[in-house]
Amino acid sequence: MAPETELSNLHRADGSATYTHHGYSIIGAVNGPIEVPRRDELPEEATIEVNVRPAAGVGSPKDRQLETLVHNTLRSIILTRSIPRTLVQITLQIRSLPEEAASTGVNPSIAILPHLLHTSLLALLSASIPLSTILTSVLVAIPAAHTQPSTPLLSPTANDLVRAKSIKSVHVFAFSGDKKLLLNESDGVFSYEEWEEACEMAEEACCREKGGVGLAEGMDVDGQSRNLEEWLREVVKEKVAYEQRWKTAT
Amino acid sequence: MATTTTVVLPGDRIPASSLPKPAHKKKPLTLGPGLRHTPPETITSTIAGSLETDHKKNAAWIDFNSGRYLPAAGDLIIATVHTSAGEAFNCLLTPNTATATLPHLSFEGATRKTRPQLPPNSLVYTRVVNAGKHSAPELTCVDPSTGKSEGLGPLKGGMVFAVSLGMARRLLAGRKGGVAVLEVLGGKVGFEITVGRNGVLHVDGGSVKVTLAVGRAVQEVDELALGEKAQRKLAEKVLRSL
Repeated sequence: MAPETELSNLHRADGSATYTHHGYSIIGAVNGPIEVPRRDELPEEATIEVNVRPAAGVGSPKDRQLETLVHNTLRSIILTRSIPRTLVQITLQIRSLPEEAASTGVNPSIAILPHLLHTSLLALLSASIPLSTILTSVLVAIPAAHTQPSTPLLSPTANDLVRAKSIKSVHVFAFSGDKKLLLNESDGVFSYEEWEEACEMAEEACCREKGGVGLAEGMDVDGQSRNLEEWLREVVKEKVAYEQRWKTAT
Repeated sequence: MATTTTVVLPGDRIPASSLPKPAHKKKPLTLGPGLRHTPPETITSTIAGSLETDHKKNAAWIDFNSGRYLPAAGDLIIATVHTSAGEAFNCLLTPNTATATLPHLSFEGATRKTRPQLPPNSLVYTRVVNAGKHSAPELTCVDPSTGKSEGLGPLKGGMVFAVSLGMARRLLAGRKGGVAVLEVLGGKVGFEITVGRNGVLHVDGGSVKVTLAVGRAVQEVDELALGEKAQRKLAEKVLRSL
């Protein structure tokens, strides 16, 4: 299943997106460029503020860590120098987690990271903040050798992780539109070869091959498989079609 | 749609074949919002939208209708006076952004002795003079060459309505924008509208009833993306209720 999205659904925010995938549901809102508090003002570039709000309770250090990861990744794709002395405020409200999320044995903040990145990107696209490129991200889990299957799991659901029982390591990769690795977070024990295999697998799922077909497992839509970049293009196509519907209306 | 639109994502390189072909060789290519030029000749998009070109003007830009208004030189906007400083008014173009300056002397017929008195929150129809990213936007209410206001100046009475940025552009584009509802309404009732590129629509219909009806009709056309036939129908419905 490709992620389900809804763009610009909050009418008070400059840009917003609701994203649902594999039981994770996140609302993202972007406000910007707006006035920045004096002490955060940067003379040459825009300040980016990321707020991650958990589904229940108040924010913990785990959310702060996620904020830092998302912030550093987004800073490399937002053209901060074209909107200096302003603030781009990104709020990510986690709405629901999959039921099995707590029992997968995988670091929960790593499992949610690709979803947070996608939500923030969609909200930024909706807010028309100038970006230098797009980003796509995916989770790869490597099961322990004695369990079946021993091939890495690409973008596994929480259920898949529970069924795989013991997961040796999990990796999150984020790629830019020009196939550059933007972010890698890994957790667990793994060898360099395993990491490389996971990285290649993620790249194939994230970036569009010229003429090739994405092999993203479990991303079948209407019988044809597609990868994340194509999914993103589809979302933007819908956005443009929605904005230009007045041209064809009678 | 008759013509296929080119949908671009940030970072997409615009191939030379998609750029407009200039009628005159010497005319330089103009890049509008959403496009970035990296020397020597790479042109990439920075926002998601559809690529639009104008062969006559040799211009290319990205059409989008979301996000916050970013001031650009020459735009007509409705600014809200925030405070009055020594020499200029500090005006807000959109909420929560840094203020723009509107000098006291940039009104028609204003001199040091007779400067306009505008209390906070009053509305002014102005033109953006310059919108450099490193300085506060500068506004004016006079045409620099003639010294006349050309319709710009403080707005009195009426009420403002929020419309999308795309709708504001359509209203300013005239016939090309395809907003027929105003013509039909204008045939029966008298009202005055002022459109700001920052997504602000000011309507003065003389009475509250007319002002509200006109403003709400335009908002409805915007939200439901009504076509011409539906707009005429809506206009008739509004006229019956008046």
